Amino acid sequence: MRFLLRAALVLLALVGGTAAGAADFGALVAALPAGSYSDRAKVVDDLAQSGDPRALAVLNALAADDLKVMPDGTVVIVDDKGAAKAAVDGTDKGTPAADQLDRVKVNNAVRRAVRTAIGVLTLRDPDPAKRLAAAREALRAADPDQIDAVDSALAAETDPAVKALLAEARAAAVLKSDAPAADQLAAIKLLAARGDDAAIAALAPLAGAQNPEIAQAVKSALASIAETQRLWGLAQNVWFGLSLGSVLLLAAVGLAITFGVMGVINMAHGELVMLGAYSTFAVQQVIRLHAPGLFDWSLVIAAPVAFVVAGAVGVAIERGIVRHLYGRPLETLLATWGVSLILQQAVRTIFGPDNREVGNPGWMSGAFTLGQLQITWNRLWILIFALAVFAVLLAVLKRTPIGLQMRAVTQNRAMAANMGIRTGRVDALTFGLGAGIAGLAGVALSQIDNVSPNLGQGYIVDSFMVVVFGGAGNIWGTLAGAFSLGVANKFLEPFAGAVLGKILILVGIILFIQKRPRGLFAVKGRSVEA
Amino acid sequence: MLIDRRLGIFLAGLFVLVVVVPAGNLWLAGQPVPTYLVALIGKYLCYALLAVALDLVWGFCGILSLGHGAFFALGGYAMGMYLMREIGDRGVYANPTLPDFMVFIGWKQLPWYWWGFDHFWFAASMVLLVPGALAFVFGWFTFRSRVAGVYLSIITQAMTYALMLAFFRNEMGFGGNNGLTDFKDVLGYDLGGGGTKVGLMVLSAVALAAGLLLARAITVSRLGKVLVCLRDAESRTRFLGYRVEHYKLFIFTVSAMMAGVAGALYVPQVGIINPSEFSPANSIEIVIWVALGGRGTLVGAALGAILVALAKTLLTGWLPEVWLFALGAMFVLVTIGLPTGVLGALEGGLARTRRAPEPAEREA
Amino acid sequence: MNFARNLFAAAGLATLLAAPSAQADDDTIKVGILHSLSGTMAISETTLKDAMLMLIAEQNAKGGLLGKKLEPVVVDPASNWPLFAEKARELISQDHVAAVFGCWTSVSRKSVLPVFKELDSILFYPVQYEGQESERNVFYTGAAPNQQAIPAVDYLMSKDGGSVKRWVLEGTDYVYPRTTNKILEAYLLSKGVSPDDIMINYTPFGFSDWQTEVSKIKAFGSAGKKTAVVSTVNGDANVPFYKELGNQGVKAEDIPVVAFSVGEEELAGLDPKPLVGHLAAWNYFESIDTPENKAFIDAWHKFTGNDKRVTNDPMEAAYIGFNMWVKAVEKAGTTDPDKVIAALPGTQAPNLTGGMSEMLPNHHITKPVYIGEIQDNGQFDVVWQTKGLIPGEPWSPYLPESKDLVSDWVKLNCGNYDKVKNTCLGATN
Repeated sequence: MRFLLRAALVLLALVGGTAAGAADFGALVAALPAGSYSDRAKVVDDLAQSGDPRALAVLNALAADDLKVMPDGTVVIVDDKGAAKAAVDGTDKGTPAADQLDRVKVNNAVRRAVRTAIGVLTLRDPDPAKRLAAAREALRAADPDQIDAVDSALAAETDPAVKALLAEARAAAVLKSDAPAADQLAAIKLLAARGDDAAIAALAPLAGAQNPEIAQAVKSALASIAETQRLWGLAQNVWFGLSLGSVLLLAAVGLAITFGVMGVINMAHGELVMLGAYSTFAVQQVIRLHAPGLFDWSLVIAAPVAFVVAGAVGVAIERGIVRHLYGRPLETLLATWGVSLILQQAVRTIFGPDNREVGNPGWMSGAFTLGQLQITWNRLWILIFALAVFAVLLAVLKRTPIGLQMRAVTQNRAMAANMGIRTGRVDALTFGLGAGIAGLAGVALSQIDNVSPNLGQGYIVDSFMVVVFGGAGNIWGTLAGAFSLGVANKFLEPFAGAVLGKILILVGIILFIQKRPRGLFAVKGRSVEA
Repeated sequence: MLIDRRLGIFLAGLFVLVVVVPAGNLWLAGQPVPTYLVALIGKYLCYALLAVALDLVWGFCGILSLGHGAFFALGGYAMGMYLMREIGDRGVYANPTLPDFMVFIGWKQLPWYWWGFDHFWFAASMVLLVPGALAFVFGWFTFRSRVAGVYLSIITQAMTYALMLAFFRNEMGFGGNNGLTDFKDVLGYDLGGGGTKVGLMVLSAVALAAGLLLARAITVSRLGKVLVCLRDAESRTRFLGYRVEHYKLFIFTVSAMMAGVAGALYVPQVGIINPSEFSPANSIEIVIWVALGGRGTLVGAALGAILVALAKTLLTGWLPEVWLFALGAMFVLVTIGLPTGVLGALEGGLARTRRAPEPAEREA
Repeated sequence: MNFARNLFAAAGLATLLAAPSAQADDDTIKVGILHSLSGTMAISETTLKDAMLMLIAEQNAKGGLLGKKLEPVVVDPASNWPLFAEKARELISQDHVAAVFGCWTSVSRKSVLPVFKELDSILFYPVQYEGQESERNVFYTGAAPNQQAIPAVDYLMSKDGGSVKRWVLEGTDYVYPRTTNKILEAYLLSKGVSPDDIMINYTPFGFSDWQTEVSKIKAFGSAGKKTAVVSTVNGDANVPFYKELGNQGVKAEDIPVVAFSVGEEELAGLDPKPLVGHLAAWNYFESIDTPENKAFIDAWHKFTGNDKRVTNDPMEAAYIGFNMWVKAVEKAGTTDPDKVIAALPGTQAPNLTGGMSEMLPNHHITKPVYIGEIQDNGQFDVVWQTKGLIPGEPWSPYLPESKDLVSDWVKLNCGNYDKVKNTCLGATN
C-alpha cells in the first residue's frame, strides 16, 4: 500500500465527488491505484456507473494487469510492446522501463467488480457473444440498481438467447429489489423454469421472505429445481462414470495385451504410461521453443511419438528380459518390477523429481453444457480417444495378418512356430504394441493428472483390477470392466465418499471373482488350463 | 529328514547370531556390535519370517499371494494396539485410556474393538487370530470357488489395497495415516533400552527358527507331499480324491498366522505401524524376496529377504540418488541369471566344485 | 567349516554396517539430511535436500562452523516410514551427525521421534504441520496452524477477501488436514458461521478423479452466499484437482480456493492461467521483493544451474532453521546436542521476507503470514499480510483437548504443560 498517503488525498476528494453525483472520469482513474482492494472495487463500480466510453478500455486493462502507474502518478495503459498511453486521454507516454512502473494490483474482489462493470458496459455491445457474456454476468451479479440498464438493453435486444438470459437477469435483480409482490412472483416463476445453480443462487436468499406468498413460491420453486437437478445429477454421474471408465480403459488396455493376452505380469506397465506422458511433455517443450504456433497440435504430434517411445522400450524389455522368462510367467513379475524401478529412477534423474507442466491445448480446455449436464472438453476427448484406441487395437488384432499371428502365437506357440511364424518376432511386436498403447494412455493422462515419476504407480493396481475383472485374455472384457467399474465408482462416491466408495469397489471385485473365477468375459476352452 | 543340510547351516547361523550379538552389544567392552545393528538385524529377521510364510504358500502350494503384507500388518497392528495401551497416561494429553490420536480426533470412549488389548495375552492371541481369521474366511470363499492363478493373485492384491484404504481412514480408529507410534515399553521393559532391543532381536531369531522348523515339518509330512502335488497338478490331485481346497485353506491360514507373528515382532523394533504396510508394493516386494532367494526352499526365502533388506540399507546410504538403479538391476539380473534364486545358485556352484573341480582357467 | 563360514559372514556383515563410524573424521562437523529422494514424497523433498546442500556449501564458503568444515550426509529414506526411523538411527549413531534436517510428512516425523529422543539428537523440521506436538529434540521451523490456516480464513472473511459466508473444507484424509479442519471448524463456529454453511470433505492420497468433488463444491457454492474452499489437499492430488477446477470453470472470483499445501513448486507442474486469483497462505513467497530473498533466489539458481527452479516456503523454513542452528552452535561453542538445544530458544535469524524470526521456548518460531493470489506466471501476488511476526503455537486454543496446554522448554522444561492442573503431562526431558 505504498500509495496510501498520496491516495488518501485523492480519495477524500473523490468521496465528495461521488456524493455529489458528478464523478469526473479523470478523478476516478486517478483514484484507482489508491486505498485498499475494496476501495478499488468501489471505484470500479463508479467507473461503470459513469457511463464514460473510455471506461471499458481502462477496465479491460485493469483485468489484464496492464494498468500501471508512472513515477509522476499518471495512470497509464501499457500494451504488449511496453508502450504506455495515459489512461484518461490516451496521450503517448513513451515506453518506460518496467521497473519504473507500479502495478495497479487486483485481487478477487476487484476482479469480480471489474467483471461486473465490464458486463454493465457491454450490455449494448454490437457483438452478440459479448452481450451474452454480459447478460450472464448480470444474472450472476444481480443488482437492483441495474434493472433500468437491463430494461433498456432488453428493449433493444434482438438475439433470442441473449433476450431470454437478460429477462432472467432482470428477474434475479427484481428479487433483490423491493418491487411489488406480483413482480417478484413472476420473477420467481421465470427463474424456477431456468432450474439450475444460478437460479438457486438467486432464489435461495428469499426462502425466508416476510411475505408468506413469496416464501411459499420460492420454496416450491426450489423443490422443483431440486427434483430436476436430481435427475440431471443421475445423468451427470453416468457421465462422470463413463469418463472415469475411459481413463481406466486407456490405462488397462495395454495391459490387456501384455498381461491378458501374453500372460506377462508386467509390473512396468505403469512406467510405460509414464513414459508416454513424459514424451508429451518433451514434445510440448520442443514446440514451445521452436514452433509456438503448433501448440494446439501438440497432442496430435505427441501421440505417435509416445507410441513409438513406449513401444520401443517395450520391445527392448521383451527382447532383453521377458524373452528369457517364457514358461516362468510369475518371474516376469520380479524382472519387470526391477525394470519399473529403473525406469522411474531414470525419469527422475533426467527430468527431475517434481511435476512437469503439460499444457492443455485450447480444444482440451473448458467445458460446455448440455441441458444441465456439464461436460468438460478434456474428458470428452479422452473418452473418444479411448474408444478410438480400442477400436484400432481390435482391428489390428482381428483384421491384420500380424494380428492373426499374434493370436496364433498366444494360443499355441508350438503349432504357430511349426506353421512358419517367427514367434520371437511376433512376441516382441505384441509386447511392443501393448507398451505403445500404454504410451498413448500417458498422452491422455498427462492432460488430467500429474506428470511426475510416480504417475504410473497410481494406475498399476487399478489396471490389473480392470483386466482381471473383465477377464484376462479378452479385450472386450477390459472394455466392459473399465466402464462398469468407472460407473459403479461414480455412483458410490456421492453416498459413501471417495475413500469408502473405492473400498466397496475392491470388495465388490473380490466377491465377483468368487462368482466368476475367470472374470466377466471368461476365456473358455483348452487354452485356459494351459 | 526334518533338518536337512541347508536348514542346519541356517539354524547354526541363527544360533551364532543369538550368541554373538547380545554378547557384543551388552557384555563385551567397547560394544563391538552397536545397538543400531541390533535393531537392524531384528528387523531383517522379521522380514525373513515373513518371507518364509509366503514361501510356504507360494513355493509349496502354488498360491501366489500378492497380499501377504496385509497379514503382516494386521499382526503388527494387534501388537501396536497393545503397545498403545501400554503407554497409558504417558501420552501427550495424559489420557489414561484413550491413545493420543483418539483424543486428537475427539473420541470420548475406547471403541469396542480396542477392548482387551491392554492385556498382553489377549493381544498376543489376536496377533495369531486376526490374520488367521481373515485368511480363513478369504481362503474359504476363494478356494471353494476355485479361483486360481493370476486371478487369485490379483484379488489378494485387492484385499490388501482395500485394507490399506480402510486403515487410512481416521474414522476406523487405528490412527489413520500416522498409524500407531510413540510406543514406550513392552511388558514393562523400556523399548529404548539396549537390553529390550537385544531381547526382541533374539525373540525374532527364535521365531524365525520356529517358523522354519514348522514350515519344514509341514512340507516333509504327508500333507506337504499333497501340497506339492496340488501345486504341480491341481486337477489331477482333485481327481485322486483329495479335497484340495481344504489343504490350501490350511496352509494359507498357517502362513497368514506366521506373517502375523512376524509383524508383531517387527512393530516394537521399528517403533511404528501404519497403513503403508498394507500397500500392494510392499506385498510385491515380499514375493521378490522369495523369488530372489529361491522359491520353495524356505531357507532361500529367508536369505532373500535378508539380502534385499541389507541391499536397501546399504544402498540408500551409499548411493542415495541412484540406488533404485542398482536395486532394479539386481532384480532383473537375478531373475534372468539365477533362475533358482540365490540359494539355488550357491548350492549349484557348491555341488559343481565338489563333484568335479572346474577345469583350469583357459589361457587368454 | 560351514560354521566358520557363517561366523565369517556375520562378522563381515557387522563391519560392513558399522563401516561409516570407522571413518568418523574430527576435522568436520557432519550434518544429516533426511529427505526422501525416491518414492511418493521425492517430488517435494528432493528440493529440500538440494536447498540444504546449498546452505551447507555457503556456510563452508564463509569458513565453516567453529573452525571446521560442515559435511553433509545424505541418505534416502525412500518415502518409507519405518525406513525413516532406521536411517535416522544410522545418521545419529553411525555417522555421528551433529543435527539432522529432514522429514516432510507428519508420519515420517512421528516415526523418527522416538529415535531422536532415545539417542538425544536434534531434528529441524521445515514443513507446515498440524501442531499438537512439542518435543525437546525437535525444532519446528514450518508454520503451526495459527501461522497459516487461521489468518487465511480471517482474510477471506474480511471485506477485501470477499466477505465469505460459506465454507468448503476440502482435504486429503490424513492427520494434517483433519486437525487443521477441526481447528478451522471450531474457529468458524466461534465466528458465528452456521454449521449448515460448512461442508467438510476428504479424499484419499493421490486422488485423481475430481469430477464429483468439484461438482459438489459448485453445487454447495450456489446457495446465494459467498463461498470459499479451504484446501488441505496433499501434494500429488493437487494437480488433477486444479485442472478439474479450471475445466469446470470454477473461477477464483466466484469460489476462491485457498490452499495450504500449494506453493510455487506445485504450480510449476500446472498451467496457471485458469487458476489466476486462487489463493495460498504461506510464510514466504518467491515473489516477495526483499534483498535477502533476491540473494537467496540468485544463489539457488546458481547452485542448481537452472534459473527456472522456483523457491518455496519449506525452503525458507529450512534456511531459517539452518541459520538458527549455526548461531546456536556458535553461541554454545560446541555441537553437543544438549548445549545446542539449550542455546536455541531465543536465537534469532533473518527470514527471507525482511524480518527477524526467533526460536521460541516452545521450539516453534515467529513468522509473518502472507496470503497470495496465483498469477498467470505461476507466481503469487501478495494481497494481504499480517502486521509483524506471529509466534507459532503448537497447542491450538480452539480444540478442547489442547486449549489448556502450553509448551515451554526453557522455564517449565515441558512440551505439554497443563495450565489448569499446573502439571507437566509427560513430554519432558
